[in-house]
Amino acid sequence: MELPLLSLITFIPLAGALAVLCLPKDLRRAIEGVSLAAAAVPFALSAWLYFAFDRSTAAMQFVERHGWISSSAVRIDYYLGVDGLSAPLVMLTALMSLVALIASLGIKERFKEYAFWFLILEVGMLGVFESLDFFLFYVFWEITLVPMYFLIGIWGGPQKEYAAIKFFLYTLTGSVFMLLGILAMYFKATPHTFDMLELMKIHGALSFKFQALVFLAFYFGFAVKVPAFPFHTWLPLAHVEAPTAISVILAAVLLKMGVYGIMRVSYPMLPLGFEWFLPYLVVIAVINIVYGALCAMAQNDMKKMVAYSSINHMGYCLLAIAGVTATGFSGAAFQMVNHGIITGALFLLVGVIYDRAHTRDIGAFGGLATKVPVYAGLMSLACFASLGLPGMAGFVSEFLCFLGAFPRWKIYTAISVLGILTTAAFFLRMLEKVFLGPLNNRWADLTDMNARELVSLVPLAVLMVVLGIWPRLALDMMNATMVNLAGLFK
Amino acid sequence: MVVLGSAVLALLLTLDDSSIPEPASGSFSCLILLSTVGMMFLVSATDLLLVFVSLELVSISSFILAGYERANPKSNEGSLKYFIFGAFSSAVMAYGISLFYGATGGTTLIAVRALGPLALTGLLFILVGFGFKAALAPMHFWVPDAYEGAPTPVTAFLSVAPKIAALGALARLLAALIPAASVDLGNLLSILCCLTMTVGNFVALFQRNVKRLLAYSSIAQAGYIVIGVVTGDAMGIQGILIYSFVYVAMNIGAFAVAIALANDRRGASPSAHARLDGARHGGPSGLDAADPYDLDSFDGLASRSLPAALAMTFFLLSLAGIPPLAGFFGKFYLIGSAVGTAHYGLAVAAVVNSVVSVYYYMSISYRMFFVSPRKGARAPRIGICLYATAALALAVTLFFGILPHRLAAWAQLSAKFLP
Repeated sequence: MELPLLSLITFIPLAGALAVLCLPKDLRRAIEGVSLAAAAVPFALSAWLYFAFDRSTAAMQFVERHGWISSSAVRIDYYLGVDGLSAPLVMLTALMSLVALIASLGIKERFKEYAFWFLILEVGMLGVFESLDFFLFYVFWEITLVPMYFLIGIWGGPQKEYAAIKFFLYTLTGSVFMLLGILAMYFKATPHTFDMLELMKIHGALSFKFQALVFLAFYFGFAVKVPAFPFHTWLPLAHVEAPTAISVILAAVLLKMGVYGIMRVSYPMLPLGFEWFLPYLVVIAVINIVYGALCAMAQNDMKKMVAYSSINHMGYCLLAIAGVTATGFSGAAFQMVNHGIITGALFLLVGVIYDRAHTRDIGAFGGLATKVPVYAGLMSLACFASLGLPGMAGFVSEFLCFLGAFPRWKIYTAISVLGILTTAAFFLRMLEKVFLGPLNNRWADLTDMNARELVSLVPLAVLMVVLGIWPRLALDMMNATMVNLAGLFK
Repeated sequence: MVVLGSAVLALLLTLDDSSIPEPASGSFSCLILLSTVGMMFLVSATDLLLVFVSLELVSISSFILAGYERANPKSNEGSLKYFIFGAFSSAVMAYGISLFYGATGGTTLIAVRALGPLALTGLLFILVGFGFKAALAPMHFWVPDAYEGAPTPVTAFLSVAPKIAALGALARLLAALIPAASVDLGNLLSILCCLTMTVGNFVALFQRNVKRLLAYSSIAQAGYIVIGVVTGDAMGIQGILIYSFVYVAMNIGAFAVAIALANDRRGASPSAHARLDGARHGGPSGLDAADPYDLDSFDGLASRSLPAALAMTFFLLSLAGIPPLAGFFGKFYLIGSAVGTAHYGLAVAAVVNSVVSVYYYMSISYRMFFVSPRKGARAPRIGICLYATAALALAVTLFFGILPHRLAAWAQLSAKFLP
């Protein structure tokens, strides 16, 4: 009997969460230990997943399927599996959760509740990428909402309550429409099924009108998560108010759920609807890229700047998807992974400086490079990776995105390339104002990064470089799936 | 249906009995039992006369229960309103039944073939009667006052039992009559259903008193259940059964936590206690500012008692229909049946309403987790009965959320007994 690897990855954090709940809140050490273990084991297992993954096939692997609910009215399976699209995201989630948890060990208040909600959140995120049953998918999708609400609302910044409820209502509104889409698909299939792989096969029988309508329902759910213009307004607020580690999770994993949904659900299940929406999608992508970059340029708050740069980077993913080529899909998937690592690192770094200086105002700093050289080095590395400097991970994926989109959308791609320029401009401006120039005396006794911060950041920095030099480490995993995906409707 | 109905009610009764606070007395329990008998008859009745008699039995005992705090003016007011509305709707319903009798020559529901305009008018009047009991908008005006005034265990009881019984009977009635009706009653019901959900949810947004908030939310919840009545397919009927069952657990659970906090608050502040005592003994009752059911009793509950706060959160989330809690599963069936039978408008209304409801349910969570507790607040002492009730309700909410399998099978079984 084979080991249920995916179930283990998903539910060990849940076990951890329950264990944390049972511990008295005075045993801080024990809570830390249990929660770290509950995040580290899934990460180790996901590393195993990496080596055991068969790179030559586009089929689902590590499949687990058991009957869950069956009655005359519905039949729902517990059905997990990963392919080249979801496996990297599962690994990313496990990695970033561990990193974010390490980074949040500095949290002083109510750590027990924090660890509980955090681990529940991890269960939801992992589950979304693994489930192949729509009902299960929706359940996991919604599980991510509630912990996020509390994590932002309790441990966030000054406007946390507003940010938390806005996030909750926005995403919930999106996802209930997704629920309607799921139900519509369910009733359209004969026999009725929630099996996502089966539903991918019935598109031939679906009318254009139906596909367009259901596509919109799904798109609404996914676009809020991405976030695609004009549904992005919750993001800067949530990012700025959330505690550092939660911003990391939000940027690194939650945003990916939207893009993942488009690639997993909208495109393969509703090709006509997707095709119909493409011209709009590409425009939205370009708006995301250009508008996101310009907004980032206008920010003085470092965290807000990084938040807007996320909108910009997710625009690349959308653009690449709109290209409907294997290159584009690979680019989008790789960009998701890279953006997760890079932006996660950027948020951590912003958190590091905020913990010390209690301000994130770009103009308040100056000349820090001499004072905190390690920090300055890591920050520069992350910024360069994010703006797409060749040799770093971000470059490869952005290049693939443009390459994938160019054959179909020449002008739009050209406009988007300008977005890179703006990205470079605002990152360089930030680096210059914070690290170069004369030292602002206010920060004369600033200390460099401590061990905990280094432990959480150095692995990310290493990944940025390694994936930039040898992207095949990740791309080989995705290749077969992406080629299959692009060839579905040729 | 009968099986399930009685099981639900029996369960409910035990839950409720254990949650009665101090002044529990023989007549109190007796009235609740009487009312329960009425409900059991109500859901199993196939004759309109029997329906009417059992509905009256339920109503009259509820009137008394609602006014049980004799010396509390609010209780009196609520009870009186309830009574006047109830009497009016009973009269209308009796008139409807007589019209029905005149048109079809009988009062039995089985073997009705075709309905003429007269019988249809009768049916509409009967519908009004049911709408009143189930508190469908626009027949819901008595609800907030009656719920606020009634002793809270009674409120918990009223907000679930008669409502579900009435809806169950309504489902049975309509299942028998809709096919025979010449006019499409489905549309009318859809409108009622949308109206009920929307009114309940939007008004609940502005409530500051927990009991009133839950009262309006229960109006909205009844609206969701009506979806199943409208669609009437297998999934819808199962949805009604599942949702009713789950609704009992989550709503009573939420009330149990609210009662616990209010009891605690009364004990904590002597002035409020004195007022209540005075009120109970017929003395002059000063209008004390501290309402034990004000939303601010929830302030900082998370740091005072994490289990209570988490339990309450789960009840509220379940009411809002967030997976993987049981409330979601029931709602999923109902919305699923709406989509499956092409009632798309209804489905959209239901999901939009769910989003709205999240806002006010979360406002309670907001107080529990985000607001720091009042000065001198301590961990609430929760009576053992309340504790057991909440724990049982929580177990149901979680268990059937994650493993709804058995519930679904059970509902499937019961659905077979429906006409």
